[in-house]
Amino acid sequence: MKISLFIPCFVDHLMPEVGLDTVHVLRRLGYDVDFPRDQTCCGQPAFNSGYWGDARPVAERFLQVFSSAEVIVCPSGSCTTMVRNFYPQLLADSPMKEKAIEVGRKVFEFSEFLSRVAKTADVGAAFPHRVTYHDACHALRELRLKQEPRQLLRHVRGLELVEMPYSEECCGFGGTFATKFAMISGAMGNAKAGNAEVSGAEYITSTDPSCLLHIDGILRRRNSKVRTIYLAGILAQTASAAERRAGAVATETAR
Amino acid sequence: MSTASREFLRRAAEKSADLNHREILRRVVDNCNTSMDSGRLRFANWEAARQRCHEIKWEALNNLDRYLLEFEQRVKDRGGYVFWAENSAEACGYITDLAISRGVHKVVKSKSMVAEEIHLGPALEKVGIEDIETDLGEFIVQLRKEAPYHIVSPAMHLTRKDIAALFKEKLGDIDTDDPQELVAAARRALRRAFFSAEMGISGANFLVADAGMIALTTNEGNARLCTSVPRIHVAIAGIEKVIPRLQDLALFWPVLATAGTGQPITCYNTLTGGPRKPNEVDGPEEFHVVLLDNGRSELLADAERRDVLHCIRCGACLNACPVYRTVGGHTYGTTYQGPIGSVLTPHLRGLNEFQHLSYASSLCGACTDVCPVKIDLHHHLLENRRDAVRSADRPFTERIGFKIWRWAMQSEGRFALAGWFARAAMRIAHSMKLEGTALDPLGPWSKNHASPAAPKRSFRALWGKANGAD
Amino acid sequence: MAQTESASRDKILARIRAALREPAPRHEPASQPKTIFAPVTEALARFQKECATNITECIVTPNRRASASAVKDVLASIPPGDVFVQDSPELRQFAEEWSKDRSIQWSSEGPPRESSQATITACEALVAQTGSVLVSAACGGRGASVVAPVHIVIATVDELVPDLDAALASVLERGIVSVNSYLCLITGSSRTADIEKILVMGAHGPRRLIVFLSLA
Repeated sequence: MKISLFIPCFVDHLMPEVGLDTVHVLRRLGYDVDFPRDQTCCGQPAFNSGYWGDARPVAERFLQVFSSAEVIVCPSGSCTTMVRNFYPQLLADSPMKEKAIEVGRKVFEFSEFLSRVAKTADVGAAFPHRVTYHDACHALRELRLKQEPRQLLRHVRGLELVEMPYSEECCGFGGTFATKFAMISGAMGNAKAGNAEVSGAEYITSTDPSCLLHIDGILRRRNSKVRTIYLAGILAQTASAAERRAGAVATETAR
Repeated sequence: MSTASREFLRRAAEKSADLNHREILRRVVDNCNTSMDSGRLRFANWEAARQRCHEIKWEALNNLDRYLLEFEQRVKDRGGYVFWAENSAEACGYITDLAISRGVHKVVKSKSMVAEEIHLGPALEKVGIEDIETDLGEFIVQLRKEAPYHIVSPAMHLTRKDIAALFKEKLGDIDTDDPQELVAAARRALRRAFFSAEMGISGANFLVADAGMIALTTNEGNARLCTSVPRIHVAIAGIEKVIPRLQDLALFWPVLATAGTGQPITCYNTLTGGPRKPNEVDGPEEFHVVLLDNGRSELLADAERRDVLHCIRCGACLNACPVYRTVGGHTYGTTYQGPIGSVLTPHLRGLNEFQHLSYASSLCGACTDVCPVKIDLHHHLLENRRDAVRSADRPFTERIGFKIWRWAMQSEGRFALAGWFARAAMRIAHSMKLEGTALDPLGPWSKNHASPAAPKRSFRALWGKANGAD
Repeated sequence: MAQTESASRDKILARIRAALREPAPRHEPASQPKTIFAPVTEALARFQKECATNITECIVTPNRRASASAVKDVLASIPPGDVFVQDSPELRQFAEEWSKDRSIQWSSEGPPRESSQATITACEALVAQTGSVLVSAACGGRGASVVAPVHIVIATVDELVPDLDAALASVLERGIVSVNSYLCLITGSSRTADIEKILVMGAHGPRRLIVFLSLA
């Protein structure tokens, strides 16, 4: 099975480690992974702001780029949702409407792919830390992912999964909502940060790097001890990598 | 930016910063949600209940003329009157004319969002008729000359001390903040009103077509008194409130109670139609139903959004909404608040003026998940935004911005270049410590966030370098 | 003035008809119709359980005569004052017991006075699913079940139906809906949580609802 990577625009520009870790895990599981270089954006920023006329050509271009993909994996619940759940409505009057439905059937969010297609809960990861999981809204309510990411985390060696209060409550990012209604977004984000702190977790993770970008900025502004890490960032860690790191440190210390 | 929008932003900022208020709201909303959670468990299948309610409402709205005409005929058969009002002015006009012609000096009202929507209170006051809210929460906010805070709990923003002080000042015969005593004081005051008012005005939770009756879902008993004691009863309801059969209430009564308060069913579910019959002990001598359009038929015409009219005004979406939980009801500045308010208000009162409500959402979808009649609330917010871009005023910079965005997104080269610029700008801003200043490229983001570190290279550059190999 | 033919009516109807030329999309039902409420199997036990939850005092007696006597005990426990009773042949009979200690105001004389300490009525049905009492205007009038602080209902197990569906079907079938201008499904005593979400019993309606349910 050949996987075509769909990398969200902001991940490409600002959070490349999210993409790298995603590739790392998929390759470790034996998948052939490719990155169609022509891809740009799925069109969600314009769509969410009501600029459907501007989003449409960008969406059509996306469909062309991924037209012959076998399976598409995306490290983002919201971008996956855009393609699968919203393209049909956005492209209702477009000649590419059928293509949208077809591509929608073969696009998967990363944890969704692992659980529902690869049917793997144990990806051989090790991450000996206390971690809490934030239920990103699109992943939870549009893709119906709740237990799947948690199952993946439960199989990580050494990882202690703790639940935070109101894990399903929106973090307040919401795209341009975060800048247009910064005061509300900030309040929601701080509530989320506070809940992560109360859980006693060292790390907060999620299926959505956009949420994590927002939560991370807030945690660091609060000088919080809690750090953010994208789901694949955890799953990419292995015992041997940890040993190698520990070994490297020991060697350093010994010198 | 409209006045309403400016006001919304001002109030939102104020309330978001008010940690005390947020704590109160949190407690009240959590309470509602916990109750609703246990309420749902009483159903063998809550999802099946939602689907069935959705189907019944779909049937009612997609045959609206038929069911409204059936309702009207049955009410007339019972000796009642039905008045069709195109807008607030007509509805208020009918009621005030009726009151004047019948020598009414005092009116008792039981809770009605529609009465709020048409500003009935001020219309009655204008013609010198005393108007008294009898629902405890509404009674309280009326004494304070405030708008209701929440569709189901109008006074949820007040503490018992606030209410005790208010009652001491306005009612006199109370000197404690014990809730039991406060309720008793309200009961005494309102009893006098019930028995001296000549007209009782109520809303209607449902208009039952096959029975020619209105259905009222309450807990306090005030609606029963409003509709039984005064000699004239006027019920006012939106045209969308009609349901086909009395039998449908076997489902709607428990669903409305569960979604509204978490109860299996509310204390009083009243059915009334027509004036008292000749052999009855008591009851009004006249019964009027005012059917209000006020923009609903236009919403009906929009097939994509017709389901917005399914709303049974339970308030569950308000309790699910993280934005509502942060800013509270008054921030919206409209009769209908929370997700349903944000979806509905632009259609009832103008897109240009109220489009901001549809943007003041992170589109989390919690509202859609909880709605007992399966309205696609957050999807409708997206559609409102689309309409705002098509036909309302959006900021010029935004329109241009997305044109540029579109141009950039249609070429891999331009896309990569855009990313390069963004990282360069962030690095410069960081090294020149521009964060938080007027030159900060991240603008409002820096209000709440420490800046993200700009990576040296993009994902595609790293992929290209190593072809993805580790 | 109170006319039903009006220009507005025609305009609204015309707009509605034009609007409905296009059907709206709808959510598809689940493949199998699913049961919404678990069927009520033991009606009496369920009724008693629900009454306990919604705070209705439910007292089961062997027969109606026993109910009538038990009512006397309740009347002894409430403050002195009028008792309002639904004027029916059966309640007239029972009243002989009660009128020794209380002055009775009959529904045929008019609605209950503000000073009434209690009202006593029959009912159209009892609903096991929710522990509710269904009354109509014929049960002593509208005020009978709302004005006084205590409302007493005299019922038999024959009037008990399993669920709301059955209750509504029953009143439709028996013509009760058409001959009455008013029905009310009462579940527990009146209450409000409008003050700090604290539940207070006895708002505008009765504070106590007592159902005497005889098995014969």
